[in-house]
Amino acid sequence: MTDATDTGLGGLPPVEPFRPTLRERMSGWAFYIPIVFMVLFFALPMALTVVFSVFERTMFWMEPGFSLLAYENFFFSARLENFLASMGYSLISVAVSFCLGFPIAVFVRKSVPQAAQHRVVLLFILPFMVSEIIRIFALRPVLQRNGLVNETLLNLGLIDEPITALLYTHTGVIIGEVLSFMPFIVFSGFLAMEAVPKYIFEVCDDLGAGPVRRFVDVILPLAAPGIFAGAVFIFVNGLGVALIPNIMGGPGAVNAGLIATQAITALDFPLAMAVSAIMMATLMGLLYVGHKLFDLTKILAPMN
Amino acid sequence: MNQFEFTRRHMMALMGTAATAAMLPSVASADEGLKFWAPGIARVGEKDWSSMEKEAGIKLVNVAKSARADESIQKMVVGDGNALYDAMTDNGGGMEDALASQNAIAELDTAKIPNWSIIEKRYLDGGDAADTIRYEGKVYAIPYISNADALAFNYDVIGEELTSWEVLFDEQFKGRAALQNDFGPTLTNTAIYLKQSGKQDIDNPSDMTEDEVKGVCQFLIDKKKAGQFRTFWDGFQNGVDLLASEEVLVASCWEPVQIVAAKKAGKDIRYGTMKEGHQTWNNIVMLTRGGRERGMDETFYKLANLYLSPWFGARTLAGLGFTPQMTGVLEYVDANPDTFDAETKALINDRLARKKDRIAIAGNSWQNVFPTNMRAYQDWWSRVQAA
Repeated sequence: MTDATDTGLGGLPPVEPFRPTLRERMSGWAFYIPIVFMVLFFALPMALTVVFSVFERTMFWMEPGFSLLAYENFFFSARLENFLASMGYSLISVAVSFCLGFPIAVFVRKSVPQAAQHRVVLLFILPFMVSEIIRIFALRPVLQRNGLVNETLLNLGLIDEPITALLYTHTGVIIGEVLSFMPFIVFSGFLAMEAVPKYIFEVCDDLGAGPVRRFVDVILPLAAPGIFAGAVFIFVNGLGVALIPNIMGGPGAVNAGLIATQAITALDFPLAMAVSAIMMATLMGLLYVGHKLFDLTKILAPMN
Repeated sequence: MNQFEFTRRHMMALMGTAATAAMLPSVASADEGLKFWAPGIARVGEKDWSSMEKEAGIKLVNVAKSARADESIQKMVVGDGNALYDAMTDNGGGMEDALASQNAIAELDTAKIPNWSIIEKRYLDGGDAADTIRYEGKVYAIPYISNADALAFNYDVIGEELTSWEVLFDEQFKGRAALQNDFGPTLTNTAIYLKQSGKQDIDNPSDMTEDEVKGVCQFLIDKKKAGQFRTFWDGFQNGVDLLASEEVLVASCWEPVQIVAAKKAGKDIRYGTMKEGHQTWNNIVMLTRGGRERGMDETFYKLANLYLSPWFGARTLAGLGFTPQMTGVLEYVDANPDTFDAETKALINDRLARKKDRIAIAGNSWQNVFPTNMRAYQDWWSRVQAA
């Protein structure tokens, strides 16, 4: 009698049992890396932020406990007013960025040759290669009382007095936010426009639809998810980046980021955590509404 | 050699090796230099601390630090600051109490600092600044700079010397005035003005009650709503740009802001002496608990001695305009004409005289990093911002 392991069926050599290589075994786990990353660097810090926000404040730090004092300090003080005001100004920045940035995305998609489109969009990355603080500081010699804009307008005789509304005002903050964050709407708008077939423009022309109707009835619905994503980027940055109101804003100009920073400076860590938690809740709420309205998964549709 | 002797000899050798090994970290730390957590304003001479090292006869490993209280607390009380730093700086009049109460810094032996004998008298027991370097009566810090914050003004445009905080709130400078975006100095200086001008009853401008804070902030809110302030500046460069660009003509600010703005703009921007008083403050240098544990005391005392030397005092006064913490600066300058030319000497004399005038004002009030009603300060400051 011959052992089955010695010879295979029909005299063929025996089949080796399947043993995945180390690389194959590891590749299965590789799919979990993004999940681990998200849990470690996103979900966990978010959860801790909420937990810390209800801790008791001590003189220099905080101690475990359950207190809603930080939230009370936020909602029943001028901080809420500041927060809502900064939301308002961020919304204006979103609107202005959309009006200036989205036509650029449409133009690139419609009028620039296919091969050059991505290169043109990449040009908008260039400002991001310069530190944001440098970019914001560089605006001041342009916008200040004796800056480039005022000097030019005065020399041209178009104004008699320098325009002081351009800097150290809410307008200054909006200008700073638009110039800093507008590329977001250009990128996401361009990506969204990839969902709009080029022939749509020709079809609209053939059917006699004017530019306004074409934009409102055709382009906007198709590009809505991308526009919304870009708008959220700008809105959240407008709320959170403390640098811009600090450098461009008027007396006491603040946004949510600056409220949190100032709370930390005053060693009020639970309050800083509460402000951050409220910002996160605001963002989550926005994303939920956006997803319900526009199905944000469509942003990735052109890439599928 | 019997077995016992062999064992004992080897045991002795082993103990010796172990003892040497135990000493190694201390020796290594000293060789590595004093790990010094401090901002650039703590340095004079060359930009890389080499002048300081040479003069003190020590090696310094500097780690840049901001002036924010929360940074120190986070590092030294909550974080791993004692493992990272042998010495550090911060604001006197609060931070030394906070850090000493948390066992983050070590008590100092002033007998080991020869220049302690020439420290400004106000730091000695009973002096008005004695508490700013002590915790529970024991010395935990050495001051290295101080000042009385005042008003910077554009003399070229205004054409007269300003001597009262009144101008900061006066309609003639509506929209051309700036305050610091920090409730500490801004509320204290405003409180000093309101108290000394009889506009509000305030007991201690550095540690106000909730009602007093409310009164001061209400005053600022009214002025802000009337368009008095162009902005609240935040950060050194912001303060400089505002004055240099003539965006504002008057600003409450640190003296180095005025000095750099005047240089940058090439204009006569001056720093006044306010008749109502000023918030006075100092910066201190401290030995961390970790520094003591690593045996860095002697190196630290050499650094502290340098900070209390006229060598440092003359240079910080001539450079960023901070007040020296010791006597004998003018004599030192006179004795070193090769180092200090006539122009620098005149500058030092002028600055020191102005500082003495400011420090002598009765209404001055020391900076308080942690006022009793901190929450009221925070809440009312947010209302000023929202107004």
